[in-house]
Amino acid sequence: MQEDKINTDIKTKAFAENDRNVLLHVEKLTKQFGRTEVLKGITLDIYKGDVVCIIGPSGSGKSTFLRCLNRIEEPSSGSIIFDGEDICQKNVDIDKHRQRMGMVFQQFNLFPHMNVIKNLTLAPVKLQGKSEEEAHEYAEQLLKRVGLADRAEFYPSQLSGGQQQRIAIVRALCMKPDVMLFDEPTSALDPEMVGEVLSVMSDLAKTDMSMVVVTHEMGFAKEVANRVVFLDRGEFIEENRPDEFFSNPVSPRLKSFLGKVLK
Amino acid sequence: MWEDLKKQFILNFIKDGRWHYLTGGLKVTLIITFFAVIIGLLLGASSAMIRSKYEHTKKLRLLNAICNIYIAVIRGTPVTIQLLIIYFIVFGSMKVDKTLVAVIAFGINSGAYQSEIFRAGIQSISKGQFEAGRSLGFNYNQTMRYIIMPQAIKNIIPTLANEFIVLLKETSVAGYIALIDLTKAADIIRSKTYSAFMPLIAVALIYLILVLGLSYVVNIIERGLSHAGR
Repeated sequence: MQEDKINTDIKTKAFAENDRNVLLHVEKLTKQFGRTEVLKGITLDIYKGDVVCIIGPSGSGKSTFLRCLNRIEEPSSGSIIFDGEDICQKNVDIDKHRQRMGMVFQQFNLFPHMNVIKNLTLAPVKLQGKSEEEAHEYAEQLLKRVGLADRAEFYPSQLSGGQQQRIAIVRALCMKPDVMLFDEPTSALDPEMVGEVLSVMSDLAKTDMSMVVVTHEMGFAKEVANRVVFLDRGEFIEENRPDEFFSNPVSPRLKSFLGKVLK
Repeated sequence: MWEDLKKQFILNFIKDGRWHYLTGGLKVTLIITFFAVIIGLLLGASSAMIRSKYEHTKKLRLLNAICNIYIAVIRGTPVTIQLLIIYFIVFGSMKVDKTLVAVIAFGINSGAYQSEIFRAGIQSISKGQFEAGRSLGFNYNQTMRYIIMPQAIKNIIPTLANEFIVLLKETSVAGYIALIDLTKAADIIRSKTYSAFMPLIAVALIYLILVLGLSYVVNIIERGLSHAGR
């Protein structure tokens, strides 16, 4: 109970600091897999331009939470207000909303039967009615930004994990989304490739892109995020500015978690 | 010895133009196989799509049930019986071309097996591919069309080719409805010349050449596909 009281205080504080436009308003989101309750009613606002890092022990539900935001995972109850509409309603055209929420996966999930440029232009051409040339041009521009302009004609299998993940980020960006969702984007990478992906992500953060990032990279959370959220056992435990979050954790659970990961 | 073989050859194939039985039979076998493959592909692919759509979205419940019954019945009964039922019962009171009956029977039969092949192919594509498609904003059908099916089809080509080869050989029971296919042609020659060796070995060789040729073509296609990506 004591812990809950503290949480509320922290929440209020963080909200007061963010007097900006709400991009995503998540209210009492729950998710059950069979009888297991993975998310136990999570409420969180994400503002325009936010870079929110979600951290927590494995099995805490952070990936599930992220995947519920664009309903790749179907939430059991609760609501998500995006662009003034509750996208958890059954009659909502979720495909339309997903076009504006880019997603990056742990396993990259590039389409192996298409080369890079086709991976990047498929959705803009088929879904947004862009011409091939227009989509190509924009894709090449973004490829240049992530330093992969010379890989346009390659197939995913010919690229390293780090390159594939950077392409996957570009693929999501090609739809010009309002928010980017990252589901442990560096967890499947060899250690020497983590840096290149994180640097693309911090560059992206500098462009004022709204980002929600589930990650184990505490360094990234510390340096790039403007808010860090701690989830444990399907519950929202604590959130704060990164400096406060890491130096002055309040709840015992976060303290013990940070004690384990920040050696 | 050589003299004997030569005599047998002339008796079985040259005399009275008996080789016409073989060419005619070959034509019938090829026609049945070709059109049955096409019907099978249509039935197989569409029923696999229906079943996958039901698995993913719980839509098309009735069609899904029909597909399941179709597959269970066809795979649970011999093709010869299916052929006889379609000829004597379904088209029993009508005058229809026997080749057409065979095409329908073998097509329906093959469709059930191809459905399982297509479904296995769809399931072989990782869930992540599906999620990546959906996360970009593609709906279920678009994701299937642009992302899942192209990969699935590539994966199942060897299995599908095997099914075509099985089908080609299975059409040899078409003689049951008095259709003169390749096998029946050999049988007719045998009954006229009272010698079994030449016609049966000849027909076996023709089947073998067809199968090897088909395998060769499939190999080329596969190699072509493996260049494109992966």
